[in-house]
Amino acid sequence: MILSLMDQYQQRLDGIFQALADPTRRAVLGRLGRGPASIMELAQPFDMALPSFMKHIRFLEDSGWIRTRKDGRVRTCTLEKKTFTAANAWLAQQRAVWEGRADRLEHFVARGVKKETAR
Amino acid sequence: MTPPMNGKVNADLDLTMSRIIKAPRAAVWQAWSDPARFAQWWLPAPYKCRVVEMTLSPGGAFVTEMSEDGRTFTPHLNACFLAVDEGARIVFTNLMSGGWRPTENTYPAALTATITLRDHGKDTEYAAHVMHKNGADRTIHEELGFHDGWGTVAAQLARLVE
Repeated sequence: MILSLMDQYQQRLDGIFQALADPTRRAVLGRLGRGPASIMELAQPFDMALPSFMKHIRFLEDSGWIRTRKDGRVRTCTLEKKTFTAANAWLAQQRAVWEGRADRLEHFVARGVKKETAR
Repeated sequence: MTPPMNGKVNADLDLTMSRIIKAPRAAVWQAWSDPARFAQWWLPAPYKCRVVEMTLSPGGAFVTEMSEDGRTFTPHLNACFLAVDEGARIVFTNLMSGGWRPTENTYPAALTATITLRDHGKDTEYAAHVMHKNGADRTIHEELGFHDGWGTVAAQLARLVE
């Protein structure tokens, strides 16, 4: 049960990083970092057919980087804050793992040294 | 034996940590290289670690299991040593298992780790350099406006989206 949750988390992270592997999607995120924007506005700098551009938008939405909302005929995209935190938390979590190992190694070795000197 | 090059640090994908451990280098090496000792500190309590295999030579298997109740063990690490310099350095990766066989399951992350021990007076400088493959290249951060690597992302993020 726990493993399957972990797998889900890993899959989600894979999607998050995969979304960043494309220059168009990174540029879109960069633009959205300055505030929400419509699809038309986001697509404008790119020499790309709208259906192709929409694929990138959908990828960003599915991977959790952005939210989109439709108001009448205009679809507006907003950056998803939680995803930034997840991408950042991943490396922070790995750091915690390795720092923890060093802590325990240090304690373990210190105990051994104490025993040696007591002898 | 020293490989032609040491892994260069990529600040966006890698962890580096080092600290001085108040013990001679031989003692720290023993804690790392003796399976019975290693199992006592590798995992945080309450988890129990069992070393299934630890063959300290290039291509040697590095397999551990973990248990929460001390009875049922589940796989933890399935890795392969890439380089071992007695008393000084251990390099392993979970992209391969023993005998350099490629693996699929690299939870929680595909990594290559280099553990280095150096004398520091009578004590030991213990360092780990852990390389990850997740994420894309540096330009991600530049395009998003993050210039100083993951460490500062959170702070910049707060400014960006709050």
